[in-house]
Amino acid sequence: MAYSFPEEVLEHVFSFLSSDKDRNSVSLVCKSWYEIERWCRRRIFVGNCYAVSPGIVIRRFPEVRAVEMKGKPHFADFNLVPEGWGGYVYPWIAAMSAAYPLLEEIKLKRMVVTDECLELISKSFKNFKVLVLSSCEGFTTDGLASIAANCRHLRELDLRESEVEDLSGHWLSHFPDNCTSLVSLNMSCLGSEVSFSALERLVARSPNLRTLRLNRAVPLEKLANLIRRAPQLVELGTGAYSAEIRSDILLNLTEAFSACKQLKGLSGFWDVVPAYLPAMYSVCSGITSLNLSYATIQSFDLVKLVTQCRNLQRLWVLDYIEDSGLEALASSCKDLQELRVFPSDPFGAEPNVSLTEQGLVSVSKGCPKLQSVLYFCRQMSNAALISIAKNRPKMVRFRLCIIEPRAPDYLTLEPLDAGFGAIVENCKELRRLSLSGLLTDRVFKYIGTHAKKLEMLSIAFAGDSDLGLHHVLSGCESLRKLEIRDCPFGDKALLANAAKLETMRSLWMSSCSVSYGACKLLGQKMPRLNVEVIDERGPPDSRPDSCPVERLYVYRTVAGRRIDMPGFVWTMDDEDSGLRFS
Amino acid sequence: MEVQLELALPSGSGKGSDPNQDCDQRKKRSFEEAFMGVKKKEVDDLHETLPLLIWDGNEEKKQQFDGELLEQKHIPKLAISNNRNAEMEDNFVVVGWPPVKSWRRQFCHQISHRECTTNYVNVENNGGGGGGGRGSNSMYVKVKMEGVGITRKLNLSVHRSYHSLTAKLIAMFGICEENVEKYKLTYQDKEGHWLLARDVPWETFIHSVQRLKLQKMATTFYS
Repeated sequence: MAYSFPEEVLEHVFSFLSSDKDRNSVSLVCKSWYEIERWCRRRIFVGNCYAVSPGIVIRRFPEVRAVEMKGKPHFADFNLVPEGWGGYVYPWIAAMSAAYPLLEEIKLKRMVVTDECLELISKSFKNFKVLVLSSCEGFTTDGLASIAANCRHLRELDLRESEVEDLSGHWLSHFPDNCTSLVSLNMSCLGSEVSFSALERLVARSPNLRTLRLNRAVPLEKLANLIRRAPQLVELGTGAYSAEIRSDILLNLTEAFSACKQLKGLSGFWDVVPAYLPAMYSVCSGITSLNLSYATIQSFDLVKLVTQCRNLQRLWVLDYIEDSGLEALASSCKDLQELRVFPSDPFGAEPNVSLTEQGLVSVSKGCPKLQSVLYFCRQMSNAALISIAKNRPKMVRFRLCIIEPRAPDYLTLEPLDAGFGAIVENCKELRRLSLSGLLTDRVFKYIGTHAKKLEMLSIAFAGDSDLGLHHVLSGCESLRKLEIRDCPFGDKALLANAAKLETMRSLWMSSCSVSYGACKLLGQKMPRLNVEVIDERGPPDSRPDSCPVERLYVYRTVAGRRIDMPGFVWTMDDEDSGLRFS
Repeated sequence: MEVQLELALPSGSGKGSDPNQDCDQRKKRSFEEAFMGVKKKEVDDLHETLPLLIWDGNEEKKQQFDGELLEQKHIPKLAISNNRNAEMEDNFVVVGWPPVKSWRRQFCHQISHRECTTNYVNVENNGGGGGGGRGSNSMYVKVKMEGVGITRKLNLSVHRSYHSLTAKLIAMFGICEENVEKYKLTYQDKEGHWLLARDVPWETFIHSVQRLKLQKMATTFYS
């Protein structure tokens, strides 16, 4: 019946489908729907750049306008993936420069991007509009200069948390005078000072500018001038928030802020001088997102600011806020959905602030919409976790980091199995969970039994045996990403659940007990998985098969083995029994 | 370890073969059949999932025993203590824990340095507030060697010259003579910049060093 509707009509109907999942379903209906859909898919998301090749993507989707891609595994954020592992975007850019001349958007996360890539992007895509580089590395400010100079219609340049080799601030001056299209600029990760006058002029000629995130080097005295030229800003990231205490600066700043009637998000706040915080009070009632995670000010000042933001939905803050501050937050900010509390002194032996499990319990009690939590603390109890679970059954993301590995319930000295068990049992919508503290196999039994919607699980220093891993792999139906470090999980659970790995994006295991022999077996028997052993001690063949590997990264792929592996990564497959001759 | 291979159906179809269930599942042709000209039997083969090891119900009992064995094996057991100094004695630090991103780590380092200098009591002959000088005489800094996963910690206050520091590093990382030439010693100063250690006098170095890195020559590094 494929010919009952003209193609154009079907295409028009499909254009309303934005979710990849829906489009994938549509393409399975019949051959002609597959054909129509593939020609009109404009956005693609590749969760693992090695799961597919540029050639395969381009062959299937010839008219893509926006690409989003992720490279390194998440644990790369914590130095667990050695430098040089991979995640190079160049082959993609090269292929797309020929195949997608109309490409408009590139969004990358944890990938290696070189200046060459940036130059190629700036010269290949005449209509290029959006570049987001999240936690990327490998490029310098010279690459940024190419983008600024050549992308005539650039709307977004967002470098969030990328590691950029900062040669100079001169790149910003490469935006041509007739470039007026900028909507979003995030340069907060850069070190050097840019020419302030160039920045001012850029802001002044960008009437659509909604997001401006400055870097630390932009001084507070000059902030007012900048904001004044962009009263339409919706999101602002300040530079260093400190200056000599002078009334004229304070007045200027206060006036500038009061003109920003649309401001919803604030961030930046390095080196805060509390005397300048009142400059922002006029905008607080409209603020929905506040990132104070670099603001090294005491609880008292934090509370004064935060409690004025009655419509706050998202708060990122340092543990300087303490339990008392979180209690105040819980009373004032009833719309709070997301809370992240970062440690000010993660490597110190003793607590430096009075932040305990109580703070989180207060917020879970007082904020009915709380659904996303990232919390670093030094003590936790099963009672607190059970309380949180009962208070907030709609929790979606729960990431708890108790700083000392294997720390037990500080009240009873028992493992925290019951507490996390309560979380997974009560929070039926939970999609992401990070565990910490003393945990036995029992917690994994709870997780396998209850966490049916869990998509991402992070485990560290937990469990007793393979049974733990088996519970997770056999029970968590929606699991896509599993990352494990320093757990006594070995071969048995992995091999018994090999099939499960094809239903997931990836599995990371480091400092566990998976033997080289098991890795080889897995690689040989599962051709649609890439089983990569990462070992800096040298070829795994030089050690007995029973020797555990340092790190294991397993992911499903239709692209076959990688061809860009460094000397410390080996792919296990049936071609050459896992030994790659370099 | 015994490996038993058994063909098992994909998890969705449950245990055994319920003919009705199978029928429903196979009504529509799969992707491979429709578009890749793969015959049905081949499709079934493609979809066969193979547990490489059968998990038997007695595992739970067995694991209690195996678990003990595993614990003795390879995992460095961290003592549950609030006293970081216990770990420092071993010159051994857990990489990537707590899980804070590098930005935040550098940032925290700056905060703790500031806290240190305000509280710091000057001890004769010892350097400024390196990472770890919490009112004690020791000056522990992290040392990373390129190509080695584990970051170590080193007490700088016991060294008075590059010579003695280098000797200690060679011993710590077990660098053999011929490889000594291949590495250069770099350090991160208070502003976060990475510099070549031997470019500055020892006094300057010891007063501003925050961490050390042994880098292979002829590699460019990111800051």
